[in-house]
Amino acid sequence: MNFALLSMTLPLMTALVLLFIHRRAGSVVIIASLMSLAAALAALYQVHLFGVQQMHLGGWQAPLGIRFQLTPVNSLLLVFTALVHSLVALYANYSRHSITNTTDFWPLALLLHSSLAALWLSADLFNWYVTLELLGLAAVAMVALSGPKAYRPALHYLLLSLAASLSYLLGVALIYGRYGFLDIALLADVTQADATTQAALILMTLGVMLKAAIWPLHLWLPSAHANAPTAVSALLSAVVVKGPFYILWLLWTEVAPVELAQTTGFFLAIAGIAALIWGGWCAIRTPYLKVLVAYSTVAQLGYATLALGLLLYWQQTQLLVALWLFVIAHGLAKVSMFLVAGEMQATLGSKRVTALKGATQTMPVAMFAFSVAGGSIIGLPPSGGFVAKWTLLQLTLASPIHWPWAVGILIGTLASAIYVFRVIVISFNRADPLAPDFSPDRFSHWLAMLPALMAWLMAVVSVQLIQFLGGLP
Amino acid sequence: MTDWLFDGVLVSLLLALAIASIFTKHLFNSIMLYIAFGLLLAITWARLGAVDLALAEAAIGAGITGVLLLSAYAQSNSDNDQLQKRQMPWLAFAFLILILIWLIQAVWSLAGHSTTLIDLSQQALPESGVSHPTTAVLLNFRAWDTLLELGVLLLAFLGARQLAIQPYKLPTSWPLLTVWSQILAPIIVVVGGYILWRGTSAPGGAFQAGALLAAGAILLRLTQIIPPLSWHSLWLRGLVLMGVSLFILVAAATAFWGDAWLQYPLAFNGLLIFSIEIAATLSIAATLTWLVVGERRTLHP
Amino acid sequence: MTAIQLYLCLGVSLWVLGSLGLLLAKNFIRRIININISGNGVFMVMVALASREETIDPVLQALVVTGLVVAVCATAFALRLSVAYAQSKQVSER
Repeated sequence: MNFALLSMTLPLMTALVLLFIHRRAGSVVIIASLMSLAAALAALYQVHLFGVQQMHLGGWQAPLGIRFQLTPVNSLLLVFTALVHSLVALYANYSRHSITNTTDFWPLALLLHSSLAALWLSADLFNWYVTLELLGLAAVAMVALSGPKAYRPALHYLLLSLAASLSYLLGVALIYGRYGFLDIALLADVTQADATTQAALILMTLGVMLKAAIWPLHLWLPSAHANAPTAVSALLSAVVVKGPFYILWLLWTEVAPVELAQTTGFFLAIAGIAALIWGGWCAIRTPYLKVLVAYSTVAQLGYATLALGLLLYWQQTQLLVALWLFVIAHGLAKVSMFLVAGEMQATLGSKRVTALKGATQTMPVAMFAFSVAGGSIIGLPPSGGFVAKWTLLQLTLASPIHWPWAVGILIGTLASAIYVFRVIVISFNRADPLAPDFSPDRFSHWLAMLPALMAWLMAVVSVQLIQFLGGLP
Repeated sequence: MTDWLFDGVLVSLLLALAIASIFTKHLFNSIMLYIAFGLLLAITWARLGAVDLALAEAAIGAGITGVLLLSAYAQSNSDNDQLQKRQMPWLAFAFLILILIWLIQAVWSLAGHSTTLIDLSQQALPESGVSHPTTAVLLNFRAWDTLLELGVLLLAFLGARQLAIQPYKLPTSWPLLTVWSQILAPIIVVVGGYILWRGTSAPGGAFQAGALLAAGAILLRLTQIIPPLSWHSLWLRGLVLMGVSLFILVAAATAFWGDAWLQYPLAFNGLLIFSIEIAATLSIAATLTWLVVGERRTLHP
Repeated sequence: MTAIQLYLCLGVSLWVLGSLGLLLAKNFIRRIININISGNGVFMVMVALASREETIDPVLQALVVTGLVVAVCATAFALRLSVAYAQSKQVSER
């Protein structure tokens, strides 16, 4: 447990020290993120050796105090968060196009890292409210880093995020009023399917769905993610929207009574399919590169929502493997896509997809990274995205009544193939390449490739990952 | 009977103020009505026996939020002149009634339920290092929430700090106001300190005291008795960061050398809680003051 | 109907009113006020729940204090952001 705490505390302390001495030292941030990654890996190894761990903060037992837990899922998420933050920190420090030298990017990124770690570790409904607010404020502050053009989307994002938190908080208040405590493990034993519990769960679900940008509450995401600075877009899409999703998962698998969970599961699964189709459609049609990548996030979150919905609807707990593999594979691929999109956009001086004409010639490494990441997004074997999709499809194909869901998944896959290939096809149009404004930054392109390769590497360790998450017997 | 009358009047006044604040035509009236709403809410909470919260709402909810709203109103003039169009969205209204009915039947039975936490916190109180239960929850039983909340404060500060906002043009202050604030400021400091100290045994505490101190500092800044607050000054940085820094250091020390994350050693718990409270109060005061009257030295081009 | 039920109903009504106002308002400062009204509705529910019994519930009181501070921080940030937005709009209009 102490390693997990270390992984959470290190970024926060680094942020405080950097703020106090008034320095923007990227290398210190990289070292802190890597140390946090090492600590998270140690925590993961401990979970592998000793199983689930608990900690009562301040030594006060659960109903009075707050409880931390370290499970296979959240230890993996700790590692994932630290990994994404290290990769983005490396990019932000070495890229010419990141804006870290003139802004507060470093302390905000570090605080975001700590808030996420705090969210993963916690198992208390009210504590989650505070971590959600931390996450929301950090994310909005980082969107606003790109200057006046991003103020409007940032403001929209902030107001929606606050309204969502309040909806969540009202749900928490009802749960506390009904049962008298906030710890999810204690609640799991006593919740009943009455009107109050149902209302509370619906309010909380609406709140976290809005924050996680799950269809139909995703409307704020594309403008916020597309207007943020590149490094920030990568963080937002890869990890920030996953925080509320984790709460949604625990809420319905632990706290909610089974009868309520099954009906909600059905609606979540429908929302997932709708997100796949709608997000895919918008990504196919948008003229802007970063907006395309942002809509792809909406669509990909649809897979995770679908996996969660089916998990609840069929009460098949092994679907959690599909759910979290999707989240991690998508996160890694999306970091890569956003970094590439931002780099190419800055080099070409245009936000449009059509500006990429001939990009395979002028920026081969970046386009290659985009294709590799896109392959995992589509779910081509043997990538991380494929492993996740396969675990989901296996269950859906098992009996004919479930085939409609499989059709939905296939339509989603088709849509993602179309929007990824749309970019790639344009970039192969070498007849009349658009000359870049200045020479491409090769090193950053290679850095952007790194997470995409990791998404494919997930396939190599997929058996171990599935076993660790408890999927294979 | 009189109780009923009192409750009924309070509830209808609060609803009327809220509706008026939402639907009134002029933005300025809306802000004023909201401040009145906040003060009345504080009275309502005092009536319900939540004295800590009444203090907090009066200082933070109505006071600081009111000042923030007014200063934002003054700084962004262009949009404010637009009147809100009066149109009754009947569909939205019907939807509102449906949601309201659904929520009221959800909360109706809650008055009869109870929680074991009241007894549990009473039992644990002697070991907590303070004698006021709310302070014990805030700084010992659920201290982690409070630490994160100071993190929220820091994030709001960092977020606001990097925005390109034109600095205030302060008018030369009215001589009487200058004299008054010179008298008021020390009183506010004393009262703030008293509320902080009292928090260990009776209603009061770091947040209420921090908000009061902030109010004093804002007054002094607006009358130009203290210089502009700049992030380049080591003092401001120290004050803003000290609350969360001290807290996280204590947490880390207790985790790696003590028994558990944030488990204070029994011999020092009162002392530790009090020092954390002082640091938190100063951080809250400095941050809130900056959020109202702070300015950045350089602007984005 | 007891006093607690009356205040619980007041709380949820404020929450719904504030949320409706958020959806209808166009001006950002107005929206922020409306969010605060709905937030105060949630806190009202919590305070009413805290005073259900003879001794007031210290845990809920502490949660409301935390919630109030979080709300004022978020409000402050949102207002600064709206001021920055209004000013940047003025600059671009000129």
